[in-house]
Amino acid sequence: MAALRKTFRINKKDFIHAGEASISVKNLLKSLHVDTKLIRCVSVCGYEGEMNVVMHGGEGILSVEIDREKVILEISDDGPGIENIDLAMQEGFSTATEEQREMGFGAGMGLPNMKRNSDHMTVESEKEKGTQIRMSFSMADEKGE
Amino acid sequence: MDDAKKAFCYVHVDEELCGGCLHDVKACPTRAIRMKEGRPVIWEGRCIGCGECIRLCPAGAVKAATSELESVNEDQISVALVSPVLYSQFPGTMPKEVLTGLRQVGFRHTVDMSYFLEMFQCAAEEFIVRNRKTGEFPFPLISPVCPVVVRLIAVLFPSLLPHILPIMRPVALMVREVKRQISLKYKGKEDSVTLYYINPCPTKMDSDRMTFHHERPYIDRALGINDVYAELTRQLEKPGKPDHPDIFDYKPTENSLIWGISGGEIIDMHIRRTLAVSGLEETIAYLEKIELGLFRDVEYIEFRTCPEGCVGGTLTAVDKYLAKNIIRKTFRKGDIGRRVSRDNIHQLYEEGRFSAKSSLAKLAVTFGVRNTPLSIEDLMKIDELLEQIHGMDCAVCGAPDCRTFAEDVIRGKASLGDCLVLQARGMKRDA
Repeated sequence: MAALRKTFRINKKDFIHAGEASISVKNLLKSLHVDTKLIRCVSVCGYEGEMNVVMHGGEGILSVEIDREKVILEISDDGPGIENIDLAMQEGFSTATEEQREMGFGAGMGLPNMKRNSDHMTVESEKEKGTQIRMSFSMADEKGE
Repeated sequence: MDDAKKAFCYVHVDEELCGGCLHDVKACPTRAIRMKEGRPVIWEGRCIGCGECIRLCPAGAVKAATSELESVNEDQISVALVSPVLYSQFPGTMPKEVLTGLRQVGFRHTVDMSYFLEMFQCAAEEFIVRNRKTGEFPFPLISPVCPVVVRLIAVLFPSLLPHILPIMRPVALMVREVKRQISLKYKGKEDSVTLYYINPCPTKMDSDRMTFHHERPYIDRALGINDVYAELTRQLEKPGKPDHPDIFDYKPTENSLIWGISGGEIIDMHIRRTLAVSGLEETIAYLEKIELGLFRDVEYIEFRTCPEGCVGGTLTAVDKYLAKNIIRKTFRKGDIGRRVSRDNIHQLYEEGRFSAKSSLAKLAVTFGVRNTPLSIEDLMKIDELLEQIHGMDCAVCGAPDCRTFAEDVIRGKASLGDCLVLQARGMKRDA
């Protein structure tokens, strides 16, 4: 099955351009006339992922794979890694700095939001090596939201 | 261009003035313009009437499709519905005098919109407060007042359609009331009444009515503020104007004057978490962000695609910063507060008299899926083409950027031979 693959760079601490990769993915899905709810879910997850990299990670990559049945979003970085993934998955848990909170980020909803908006999500992380998040979204319209 | 054709577009091009530059092609937010054989071709189904091409055309060749002021004198009973932005064009002149001036220009009646802006504001507040409890509509809710924003969402951000506040726009509330009053006063002669809307936006005329608004009831004709400016100025300069009160005498309020400036809609709203954004580029950037899930803690966003708000409208006559200044000065002279009775509004609200749900749904269909979807294979081919072209969005092919050009090629609307970069590299035509 034909699959479209694309990768986008996420730059360290680049708050100005954070979100642009997700916007590109969003536009691809729009030109395919994918269901708007699915576009919304993929966009939200992509953006949360991008922000995580910009805030905590080092350099990162967002890659997307689209075929007729699903969208797979993968966000990886070479940052400090997540110490306790189970803890990080809890709503409200955040390691954001005061400064980041002042900017309106770091509510501890990033990963839980990604989990809620994707059909399947895996998080792999190793301390000092980086984090890799993989989310899949089914094209069939059976999402909860 | 013949009149019939003109009538279906928001804008049209005066071919004699057009110098064949690419400003409009590049400026169009929905990528609706292509340069074909040195002349811009507008894909009207995708045109949302933002007026950006009118603004940027250096030759003044792109024009808004509005009616002619001369026709006023041919009408039996002409009624001017006035956007408060009109008042901001005349320094030192109070709104009442502007309306009198319009009647001297030839309108039988003049109606000020202020009262209906207040009505809208009350209904909007009511909706937002209720929505806090029901959560029926997603926050942030988006103001439906700027018609370009509503169409922009329908064309480029369809997933945000549920965010548009489903309350009838002030102009529609005004037309409904005016039509009611007309049928009382001119019983049996309703057909000889022509409703004109004087406003700062490009307007599209359908065969027999205006589709500038997505909701009923319809207006018959639209005039740009710049269409009436010269004649109105002449009238206002005449000394000793007699002033007879009009049957549609709704006094303009301070609140309405400020609506012309970005932020004017929300400043007096009893809602705390609001934002006002103006300018086309900024509006698009914020809509992108809302689609990414941001601003969920904001309850209401006022968008205006014109810079600084409606005073920056494409069809205004006076500079937007001057107009802002005029508003601030007039604003200080006036002393009228809100007059709408909240209880009355609640009553009407309960009766569903403000709901615009069905008209928004209709709009989504009209402006929605105008483009056939691309397939995953198409997108892959577009990527291959882009790699081949490796251009710099020069737009000489007539498309605004390389990606759009590649998409046009895939859709069979352009030929690879149109690309100068490929030609320069010795590619064969129609490769």
